[in-house]
Amino acid sequence: MALIPEQVRQQLKDRFDTALTGPVHLTLYTRPGSSRLILPAGLGCATCQDARQMAELLADAAPEKVTLGVVDVSRDSDRTRADQVDEVPTIAIGADTEAGRIRFQGLPTGTEFPALIDAIERVSRAEHGLSAASLAELARLDQPTEVMVFATPT
Amino acid sequence: MSLANRIALASLQVRAVCVEANEFPRLSAEFGVRGVPHTVVNRSGAFVGALPERDFVAAVLEGAGLSVEDSPAPNGPSTELNG
Repeated sequence: MALIPEQVRQQLKDRFDTALTGPVHLTLYTRPGSSRLILPAGLGCATCQDARQMAELLADAAPEKVTLGVVDVSRDSDRTRADQVDEVPTIAIGADTEAGRIRFQGLPTGTEFPALIDAIERVSRAEHGLSAASLAELARLDQPTEVMVFATPT
Repeated sequence: MSLANRIALASLQVRAVCVEANEFPRLSAEFGVRGVPHTVVNRSGAFVGALPERDFVAAVLEGAGLSVEDSPAPNGPSTELNG
């Protein structure tokens, strides 16, 4: 399945060529070989194959800047637990090979795809773009905090 | 989603998770997702709808149990704080 048309692949390469400055590491948590069917007890993974294709496409668009690691949650449950990943597929974005703190759970298509691209570019440039007042407020956080945003692809 | 990502980039304490709601219906049901964006902080307090940066940050802090001077502004009919 061609998840992303060739024209978009080239556009992505051109965009990353100018937008990325520093390294970005993607970690894909997945369950290879899962059924595309939705099965009881979470045994299937309807979008794991597409998520792998998307993650590889992103890494291929700028191989000198974007690296990809794949974690098979079935085989590496310790790593999955340590990284606090609950579901597959999950794509984590970070500046190094540590588990990134920006994550997309499920296949980020539709309106979420631009958000994924934006996240990669911001991590690469270390550019959060928040105001000084927001940074001062966020500095008060002294405990790990999870911000979970539910979105839909359309 | 972008604001949550930017906050996670700015603060080492924050992890942002964008959940594709249709793909995880059980999780969506658990957190009472009926509209998007639906933002849940530390799996307890939640707000629905887009907020400006100042109010989004305030809501994250409030969800993390910190006091904030002003509650997030009710900028739209779908904006609410729970939990």
